[in-house]
Order: sequence, then structure tokens, then C-alpha cells
Amino acid sequence: MIQVKDLCKTFSSGTKAIDHLSLEVREGEILALLGPNGAGKTTTIRVLSTLSGFDDGEVIVAGHNVDIAPDLVRRSIGLVAQQTGVDYFLSGRENLLVQGQMYRMKKAEIESRIEELAKYFGLEHALDNQVMTYSGGMRRKLDIATALIHKPKLLFLDEPTLGLDIKSRQNLWQYIRKLNREEGLTILLTTHYLEEADKLSHRVAIINQGKIQVVDAPDALKNAIHGDAVILNFVEQGPEVGEFTYAMHEDPDVKEVLWQNDKLYLYVDNGGQAVPKFVALAARQGLTIDTLSLARPSLDDVFLKYTGTTFDDTKEDEGEEWWHQWAGKGGGSGKWAKNWQQWQDQLEEGGDTDAQQDWSKQWQKWQQNDGSDNSSADASQGNPWWQPSADDSASADSDKKAWPGRWPQDGEESDWTKRRDEGIAAAKQRFAEAGQEWPQEWQQSDKKDDHTSSESDTNATDHKNKP
Amino acid sequence: MLADTWHLFMKYTRITMRMPMWTLFTLIQPLLWLLIFTQLFKNFVTIPGMEGSYVDFFLPGVLVMTALFGSSWSGVSLLREINAGSVDKMLVSPVSRVAIVLSRVLHSAAQVVLQTIIILIVAWAIGATINLDPISLFLAMFSIFLLGVALAALSNGFAIILQREEPLVMIGNLMTLPLMFLSTAMVPKAFMPGWIETVSIINPITYAVESVRAVLISTDGLGAYGFNTAIVFIFAAIALTWAVSAFNGLRD
Repeated sequence: MIQVKDLCKTFSSGTKAIDHLSLEVREGEILALLGPNGAGKTTTIRVLSTLSGFDDGEVIVAGHNVDIAPDLVRRSIGLVAQQTGVDYFLSGRENLLVQGQMYRMKKAEIESRIEELAKYFGLEHALDNQVMTYSGGMRRKLDIATALIHKPKLLFLDEPTLGLDIKSRQNLWQYIRKLNREEGLTILLTTHYLEEADKLSHRVAIINQGKIQVVDAPDALKNAIHGDAVILNFVEQGPEVGEFTYAMHEDPDVKEVLWQNDKLYLYVDNGGQAVPKFVALAARQGLTIDTLSLARPSLDDVFLKYTGTTFDDTKEDEGEEWWHQWAGKGGGSGKWAKNWQQWQDQLEEGGDTDAQQDWSKQWQKWQQNDGSDNSSADASQGNPWWQPSADDSASADSDKKAWPGRWPQDGEESDWTKRRDEGIAAAKQRFAEAGQEWPQEWQQSDKKDDHTSSESDTNATDHKNKP
Repeated sequence: MLADTWHLFMKYTRITMRMPMWTLFTLIQPLLWLLIFTQLFKNFVTIPGMEGSYVDFFLPGVLVMTALFGSSWSGVSLLREINAGSVDKMLVSPVSRVAIVLSRVLHSAAQVVLQTIIILIVAWAIGATINLDPISLFLAMFSIFLLGVALAALSNGFAIILQREEPLVMIGNLMTLPLMFLSTAMVPKAFMPGWIETVSIINPITYAVESVRAVLISTDGLGAYGFNTAIVFIFAAIALTWAVSAFNGLRD
């Protein structure tokens, strides 16, 4: 459906956007162009959809050369760009009508197609309302509907779910799948969501710095990575465990053995086949397995392999206007609101009481990160501070990372307790200087190693800590 | 191409009709100018080179001013459309590229003509003596329409070249006011210092004002109208050609 050979494009600013890119999209497939922002995804789509020129190479879309017969290409493709190109002042129906007229369709044909598309996307009830009143997800659907008005064979989707909430995103995925399966539409989509590429596409093309690094089915890509990690935890702690570990070292199927946080990580080619063997071996040695989990490599690992960097899934905020990030529009989409929500979720999952007390600290961290260095801020979001960092080489799977260090033991003075005590001392001094009495309800914070003090206490001391 | 232009023109008209307040607001400024200037310069009757009241003299100027202020911001909305992705949506379809520019420009000019009609009614109400025969009115409107096309085309062309709203607004300001003052919209030629008179000769606004004046107020007749309108027409044609070629260069 698409053949691209040695495509090159340099912007007038001198930036090399596409660098000898070659790609083939087969008829009937969903191919995801996965890459970080600035990788050349949008530029590629723009070239393929005749919106941009290029310097060198050959581009054939739907059987026509984009250079020689752009109009024939245009008739057979639909484009859903990053910005919803639908007009806010017009109703959904009017948007679709104008789009149909652009393709010089007959009036009756347009009308029947509008009904069809509205029904397909569940927009019938809103068809005569102004687009202004639509939700983000509805706007996206209308945008896709306008791109399909002329029944194209090929659909380009540029970051189709950018800026949508999880529910709308999944809803849209269903439609994209449906369009592919039921309507036989070939779809080329760009995304920087790993999950999206993983779940939606038949094949993934990883693009970085204007080049396609690798193209294959998501599972094939993941299988090509170092393999699965089988993570074991035993009830026993004695020498039997050591013997088992030794046996694993000798096993030719096991590529690597790692102990981390009382857990044994075994890296094997095929985790599913290896697990029964391990279980049997453990039983023979008289070991009782407490927990066992199998972690598959993610696309993140694939990305790491082919680009040399971890996938920085952080550019999400770019989809939002800056004032939305601050204003927390709708109560849930703001950056701070997101941080808070994420923190809450992690608390619920983890049940980590120490973390609960430290909201103010967490807040300060976000605040620090927010101003200067965006990437590190977002890295801390994706990888909370109580989880190991991405460069923790021992962790096989980003979802299955273990705590790298440990919490301060009873009676041990940690940095945190030290800072807290200093803060309390400073505050007490200030109270004494002002001739005020140290409030009764703060008394309990005086106790050392008090890890269960209420949240307000921690806040109080932390505020005092500020210079 | 004509069908494409018509469909896009209808789209813009529909959008404009969704916000009639905006059209009304663009009327306020010329109306204010009409009222303020006619009051301020009541006694200009004594200036050489002017017959009748100042309202009569100034009215064509206000009409042209409406065209000037109404059309010169057409590019701003083009930039908004580019940023919102609407233009990409058109460009990815086989629609005629000329039609995209043409429909915008025609829409802007049509809007200006509607506004001038309202101003004419107000002027008539405050006592201007206008040639009310339909042919004169039509010819005056045609001239205004041509000027609207020319200025909207210029504004769209600049929008495509500058790609940013701020400099475009700056150029708009830089363009409209001097063009206004360096023409015969407000004062007759005889009243101008020599150098302004020279500038006014190469200022297309002058010809637009004079053509409207020829049919609407004075009895200079069709000869003067024809000459002045021809010059406005040439101006519009050049501006439109330039805008279309700038738009064709938009493909990066």
C-alpha cells in the first residue's frame, strides 16, 4: 500500500528530519510508527500524505507516486492530523458536508455517507450541535469520520489518542481496530505511547532520528530481546536456597541469575517453558516457593535495544495547552492533579505507609523538577522515587522493578529523620524566641523514629525545614 | 475550481453567521470615525478644493476605511486555520488550491460590502447627501469589493510568509493607518503638503476613495469612476496573484 525508498528531507533550518527512510506498509495492516517526539514521525506522515515535499527518494502511496500524481494519492487517503482540523463553529454535520464537498462528492452521496459515519461512530445525537460542545473524544471521532468521508483505502493517524483520557483512548482503539478488521482499511499511525503501538498494531516500526530502526510484529520484537525473567521467592532462607542458585548458574538455559531484594531473577529464552522445570527442581531440593512471577520484556526494552536510549514516554503534556497543565482543567487533566492521582494510585497499590507521610517532600521534588528540567521531572513521574531507576541493570522488566535500597531500620538515623529532627529543633527555637508555647498536638513528633505520625505533623515539620 | 470556491465560501459564511457579534464589532470603528471626524471637522467647508459638507466629503473615505480595517485582518484567521489543522485538512483533499485562497478573500470582501451598506444607511440618517440611484450604489460597492479583495489577499499573503500572528498584526497596523492618512480619504489633494500628495498618487487607497466619491457624492461621472476603479482592479489582481503564489509555496 505504501512503498518508501531512501526518503530524505532536510528542513530549511538545516535540521535533518528524515534520513534515508525506507518503509513498506502492506495492504490491510495496521502499522505503528513508534518514536519519541522529534523522531520524524509527523514529517513522514506529512510527506506520505502529500502535505510536505521532500529532497530525495521515492514515495509510492496507494499505487501512485506522490510527486507525479498527488491528486490521485489524495483521493485514496484520509488523514487525521495531530490537531483536530474540524471547525469548532460548525456542527458535526456541516464539517462532514464541507469535507465531502472538498472531495467533490455528490450531495446525495455525502448525505448518505454522513448518516453512515455518524452511526458508525455513535455521533448521531450530536451531529447537529456545534463542535465546540463536543468532548475531546467525540472531536477525535468526528475528525476520523471526516477523514473517511470519501471512503479512502488508506488512513493516516498522527498521534490519534494524544491528550485523551484513558477511557476515550481505549474507546478510540476499538474503533481503529474495527475500521481495520471490518472495513479493511490499511492504517498507518504514529504514536509515542508504547502501549498503543503494542496493542493496536500488526507491526511496529521504531523510528528515531529520521530513520527506521526496525520493523516487526510487537511480539517478535519482544522475543528478540534478552528473554523473559522468572522471579522466585522462597519461604526457606537456608543453604538449600544457595544450592538451588548454584544449580541455576550451571543450567545452560538460564542466561543470567541475579539476586535482588530476597528475590531470585532468572533470565531465560522462554519463560513459559522454563517455569515447570524450575518448580520441579525447587521441589526436589525441598524448597517451598512463596511467590513466582514471569515478566516479559516490554517494547520499552525493544526501544532501548534499537535506539540506545530508554523510551522517554514523557511528552504527553505537550498535547495540553500550558494553562491547562496549571489550571487542572476538568479537575483531572492538570499536571499537578495527574501527579497527585498517580501518587495516590501507587499508595493504594503499595500500601507504603512511609510514603504516605511524605507527600510534602514528593511535592517539593516535583516542584524542583518542574522548572528546570522537564525530562527528569517526567522520569520521576514514570518511575517513582521508591522504585529503582531505569538504569538499574538488574531489572528485567519496567513493570517488575524491585526496591534497590532499604528503609532505615529501627534506631538507625536516616537522612530523613535527621532532617526532620533538625526542623523540629529549629521550629522550637523560633517558638521560644517568640515567647510562644510549643503546641500540644505537635508533641508526639518529638519522639524519635516515629514513622507513624500523622500527615499534618509531617507537613508542619517539613514547612519548618524550608529556609 | 469555481465549485470548490463556492463551497468554501459558504463554509466561511456559515462560520461568520455563527458569530454575528464579531461583524457588528468591526462596524463600530468606522462608525465612530464617521461621527467623530464629521463633528470635529465641521468647519472644513472653507477649505479650498471641497464642495458641500464634510460628511459628504468624508463618507467615501469612511467606506474605504471599513474595507481597509475589515479586510486587513483576514490573514489572522488564516493563521488560526493553519494552526488548527483546517488548512491541512483542505490541502490533503484534492480541492483546488486557488479556491482555498480565493474563497477566503471573497468572503472577506463580501463581509466588507455588507458593513459598508450599514454605514451608508447611518450616514444617510445623519444627513449625508448620497446619490441613491441603484447603479451608483452598485458601482460604489463594486469598487469597495475590489479593494476588500486586494487587502484581504495582501493580508493572507503576509500571513503565509510571516507564519506568525504578532508580526502580521504589526504589519496590518503599519499598513492600514498610513495608507489611510496618505490618501484623499480625509482631506482633498489641494489641502495636502507636496510630498503627501505625491505619495497619495501611488497609494491605491486614493483611487478606491476617488472611485466611490465619483459615483456616490460628486457628479464627476463614469469616466472618473472607470479610471479609478481600473487601478483598484489592477491592484486587486496583483495582490491576489501574489497571495495565491505564496499559498502554493506553503508546502514545506
